[in-house]
Amino acid sequence: MILQPVIHHWRDFNRADRLAGTASVTMMVLILVALLAPLLPLDPPDQVAAHPRLSEPSADLVFGSDNLGRNMLSRVLQGARITILLSAIAVLLASVAGVAIGLIAAYSGKALDEIISRFSDIVFSFPAVLMGLLITAIVGPGEFAAICAIILVTLPPIVRVVRAAAMEVTGTDYVTIAWLSGASPARLLLVNVLPNISVPVVTQVAYSISIGMLVESALSFLGLGPQPPAASLGSLLREGSVYITVAPWLVFGPAIFLVIAIWSTNLIGEGLRVFFDPVRARCLEE
Amino acid sequence: MSQILKFIAFRVGSALLTLIGVSMFIFVAIHMLPGSFEDVLAPRGPEELRQQIADKFGLNQPLPVQYVKWLSAVATGDLGISLITQDPIADSFATRVPVTIELAVLATITSALIGIPLGLWSGLAHRRTAVSGIARVAGSFIMSVPDFVIASVFLYVFSRYSLGLTVGQWVPWHEDAIGHIKSVILPAATLSAVGIGLFITTTRNAVIGVLSKDYIMAAQARGEEPRDIVRGHVLRNISNPLVTTLSIYLAYLIGGAIIVEYVYSVPGMGRFLVQGLLNRDYPIVQATVLVIACAVVLINMAADVAYGLIDPRLRKG
Repeated sequence: MILQPVIHHWRDFNRADRLAGTASVTMMVLILVALLAPLLPLDPPDQVAAHPRLSEPSADLVFGSDNLGRNMLSRVLQGARITILLSAIAVLLASVAGVAIGLIAAYSGKALDEIISRFSDIVFSFPAVLMGLLITAIVGPGEFAAICAIILVTLPPIVRVVRAAAMEVTGTDYVTIAWLSGASPARLLLVNVLPNISVPVVTQVAYSISIGMLVESALSFLGLGPQPPAASLGSLLREGSVYITVAPWLVFGPAIFLVIAIWSTNLIGEGLRVFFDPVRARCLEE
Repeated sequence: MSQILKFIAFRVGSALLTLIGVSMFIFVAIHMLPGSFEDVLAPRGPEELRQQIADKFGLNQPLPVQYVKWLSAVATGDLGISLITQDPIADSFATRVPVTIELAVLATITSALIGIPLGLWSGLAHRRTAVSGIARVAGSFIMSVPDFVIASVFLYVFSRYSLGLTVGQWVPWHEDAIGHIKSVILPAATLSAVGIGLFITTTRNAVIGVLSKDYIMAAQARGEEPRDIVRGHVLRNISNPLVTTLSIYLAYLIGGAIIVEYVYSVPGMGRFLVQGLLNRDYPIVQATVLVIACAVVLINMAADVAYGLIDPRLRKG
């Protein structure tokens, strides 16, 4: 079975850090449920008056219904799909760009390095939500603004991590030896450098996904993310907070989903760091 | 001594460069905004009126000239005027900056006083798995709850059950001191919650890292008292990560308070910015973003200088 090696690695990961192991399974389940929601036997998320308005959560309506009688569970799953997809796409783009820019900064001489570092300092001086607001002001509210904002917020740390790791690897003996024995720059990069910087990069990417979900939902909470009828978890929270005193489940459903998603991603990031850092892992075992 | 001065001068110069870059970034960003001043002030006005407005704000000059003019005005404390109310923005800042700073100071003190001792304790006790596990789960959980979720929970609890705190309304202290305290507790508590999680997690990780170092083992082998080891070795060596955490948290408070100010209707900088954006009052957006970003640059600079003061090894280069 294809899954065999995956399960095998997961066992090791779980043994190193049970909390992170559990978090990774939870996150998998959340992603699967959110992606497969259209196939589940649920009301469509935009079906108005499927239920009485503002019905309390019950056995068949786990998250209750909203002010238009829509099934909140369907809406939360759809919102989670938007939130998770947007931040995953944005972070994927940011990591590809971040690795490229970081490597350029590390290997292309002082002037370009200085410019890149200076520029990431500048971009990094804008707190996440502030950057999001500025971007939405320029490109207008919506998915595109959210993706741009997440990329700009998560890019500088990735560039820094890649640059620092690449510089550290360059100084090691095995790279010097490979270089002395005549390896081409492409081979040095692909065989010696990239695999050895992957650990800090993967960890940073995991954290970036949780930052991405945070930024996306914060923008949507301010009404600047995907516009109705599309609704991410943040927009659901925004809509729900109007009814907070009469129908708190409108807030708690999306809130629980969002918190579990961000929490699991953070724990996975932490687990990856411990898992790949043998020195640290040993001192934790003792 | 001269090494320290050189180090500080280098950091200050570097921060100044970043500040100039930040101001250019904001200037360019604002000029990329769709819709110009004329569209906001006179959407369907006659051509002469639009021309007048463009002349008044110097919109016909080349961009570099506009940038230099803007920057030299900012340097003298002139942040421009609001397009809508025509009030000087600097005057609005005079009442709004103190509000944001008050919240930031309250939140920092609260979360440092709660988070650092908890992190220290759980880090020192990390071999007792129960304490360690609880601290790790709690710290990472609190850190993962977005501020607007905490705010929503508080809003629900405190508007459903009257518990004596003011919800969603800001009372200035000069109007009613007790009312002010009641209105400040919820926003400050929301901001501190994030900070407590951050401080617990980073302090705990730093302590665990320090405890695995050889000098701790050496100190134990010399028979030093645990109290002295904590004071002399652990606390000193976790100060740098703590400075990092503090600077990250302060940057979050100054810029990230946007959402908390929005939820609780606190008349601070963040709310001013959001209102400016919704009204397309670009001078306000420009000035607010500039002030917030500059504050972040200065915080990071202070942190860099602090690293060097704490750890002489970091003064080189």
